[in-house]
Amino acid sequence: MKLALRELRRRPGRFVTATVILTLVAVLVMFLGGLLDGLIRGSTGALRAQDADVIVYSEAARTTFVRSRIDAETRAAVDDIPGVARTGGIGIVQLGARVPGNGPRDLAATALFGYELAPSGIPETPGPSAVYADDVLRADGVEVGMEILLGPARSPVTVIGFVTDVSYSGQGSLWAEPGTWRAVMAANRPDVRLPDDSFQALVVQAADGVDVDRLTTEIDDALAGRVESLSVTEAIDAIPGVRQQRSTFNQIIGVTIVIAAVVVALFFALLTVERLALYGVLKALGARSRTLFAGLVAQAVVVTTAASIVAGGAAFGIDALIPAGSIPLDISARRVIVSAALLLVAAVVGCGFSLRRVLRVDPAAAIGTSS
Amino acid sequence: MFLALKEMRRAWVRFGLLIAAIGLLVFLILFQQALQSGLVTSFVGAIRNQSAPVLVYSVDGQRVLQGSVISPDLEQVVRATPDIADIGYIGQGTFTVIAADEPADAAIIGYEREGVGSPRDLTAGRLPEQPGEAVASEADADDGFDVGDTIMVEPGGLELSVVGLAPDAQLSVTPTLFVGYDTYLAAVAARNPGGGDPLPNALAVVPAGSTTPAELAAAINAGSDDLDALTRQQAADESPGVAQVRQSFQIIFVLYGLVVPLVTGLFFLIITIQKAGSLTLLRAIGAPARRLVNALLVQVLIIVGLGLVLGTALYYPLTLFDATSLSLRFDIGVVLGWSALLVALGLASSLLAARRVLAIDPVEASTGAGVGR
Repeated sequence: MKLALRELRRRPGRFVTATVILTLVAVLVMFLGGLLDGLIRGSTGALRAQDADVIVYSEAARTTFVRSRIDAETRAAVDDIPGVARTGGIGIVQLGARVPGNGPRDLAATALFGYELAPSGIPETPGPSAVYADDVLRADGVEVGMEILLGPARSPVTVIGFVTDVSYSGQGSLWAEPGTWRAVMAANRPDVRLPDDSFQALVVQAADGVDVDRLTTEIDDALAGRVESLSVTEAIDAIPGVRQQRSTFNQIIGVTIVIAAVVVALFFALLTVERLALYGVLKALGARSRTLFAGLVAQAVVVTTAASIVAGGAAFGIDALIPAGSIPLDISARRVIVSAALLLVAAVVGCGFSLRRVLRVDPAAAIGTSS
Repeated sequence: MFLALKEMRRAWVRFGLLIAAIGLLVFLILFQQALQSGLVTSFVGAIRNQSAPVLVYSVDGQRVLQGSVISPDLEQVVRATPDIADIGYIGQGTFTVIAADEPADAAIIGYEREGVGSPRDLTAGRLPEQPGEAVASEADADDGFDVGDTIMVEPGGLELSVVGLAPDAQLSVTPTLFVGYDTYLAAVAARNPGGGDPLPNALAVVPAGSTTPAELAAAINAGSDDLDALTRQQAADESPGVAQVRQSFQIIFVLYGLVVPLVTGLFFLIITIQKAGSLTLLRAIGAPARRLVNALLVQVLIIVGLGLVLGTALYYPLTLFDATSLSLRFDIGVVLGWSALLVALGLASSLLAARRVLAIDPVEASTGAGVGR
């Protein structure tokens, strides 16, 4: 082991190319993961923030807010179901926002939510025409105290504060009391306006000790054919594209990790071939195969760790360089650490290819060759 | 040459690992290239393959058909623009439908007349002629959207009969139905009986005479800051998400493209150094340097070639089955393009090893020095 680490210190040059390749692979893995995280974060923030256990949509809405309609009668029926502690109406309308100081064609993409139960991180409902804004909208020039105009009807709302990680469908969200949401929707999208006592969906808080899965079943059974209820986690997965994005990206990342393992296997197989005579001598001097193989693994771990550190820095660098609002990249420390851990596993597995060759080294033959 | 092949046979594990690495990289590149094309086509195929040369959105719609609304005032501005041969309403919404007895999402696009927002090409059937008829996106034919199928819009129960199929005609990665504008209005009314009549989401415009679509779009945009007129190609390319998808994949392709020559170059550099003694000896007994370099290049070509074959073979079956929700196509042009690029990069990466071979001094066979020293 010491010999292997000493070789790394004394002859780092011979490991540079492998480190560069692994760094590129690590950047790829981190970039792909960051892209996945960015896409999911931008699509699901508003749902993840819900301080609720269940979301109830109308049956035909296929778990989308825009197509869902929950009238007062349905809401009353949900309220009466045992295990339901509290319900809150929620609705959304997606509109372009005119921001003071921006050009007449430079609109910010927003999703205005009307809510009754405050999601985590969002204060209680503000007054009429006041909104809390998603902090991603800062990139569009939105500031606290600013009046922005929503939709073709130029409905004015005033930003009274910022909230974090509440984007929806890739758009910055605005959070208003239901009356404001209803008025903005009626002014801008009259074809989808709702009666005053209706919402698009309900968020439901379960009573203490109530099983959420059982509660969703009970709601669906009690209002069969009228509603479809999902736990918040299920509702997040049901957002169009979320499940498909996660599965496709994870498959691509998986194959890239396999490539990293093959690269490590290739590099250390070549190194092992080069050292066969040396290994023979070391074995003749009493070194065990296990020790020699541990040296290889140690070198692979060091090379991969160095590559991961450089790649992590590069990934954060790319994230910082990409302008806000372009590529939805979200590089986090967690993503970098998980990627590095996966690459380390791949490196150790890759080294396994050299194990057979190390085990087969015959000290007697090696000494004979040497002499 | 003979030695080069014999060496590969003898050290098949090492060369096999390199082929596997290149093969996996090629597979990922081709898969992601197809994913990018499939994603863009599924996002905006309906825009790209509709017949109007110019589409006029409201600026508020931010180039999303469903988000755009053309008010009567804006419509008047467009109609007052000179050099317009024809103009028609486009309406679009995403609906819950029952197809093949299963609930599904579907984008319904209403247009007024053939040539002004209708599908440009059909692979089966005909355009709608009666209320309640629709042309469906061909990609969804197997999911209950084939010619002869009946689709029910929920809630409301409006029935649509599929009378034709259009290729590459999805919008926002959902099954898409082109219908007459009145049928679209009926679908909106069936879904939300209390809602008002929807305004058109966009206007489909055909330029007159020699006016180009770009000129007409510029003229319309000059009429109002609230209008966003785009040529068909612009409307597809500048749709939200499309540019992001392309930018993201470009970064990914550059990174994967770099890994292939680096892995190949590293491999051949190392084995050239390892063979230093043998190569020096070969030079000493009269083997010309060119022959040794040729043997190296032959090995590079064989390795990269087999990697390309392996990667393509891994990728091809995915285009035969619905491995993802997108339709992945085997595009021979893309495969050949990437093959040429990767072979060139592979050969370029082996130049370092070739330089070492060329630098061998045969005299050093008697002194023990070689390329590795």
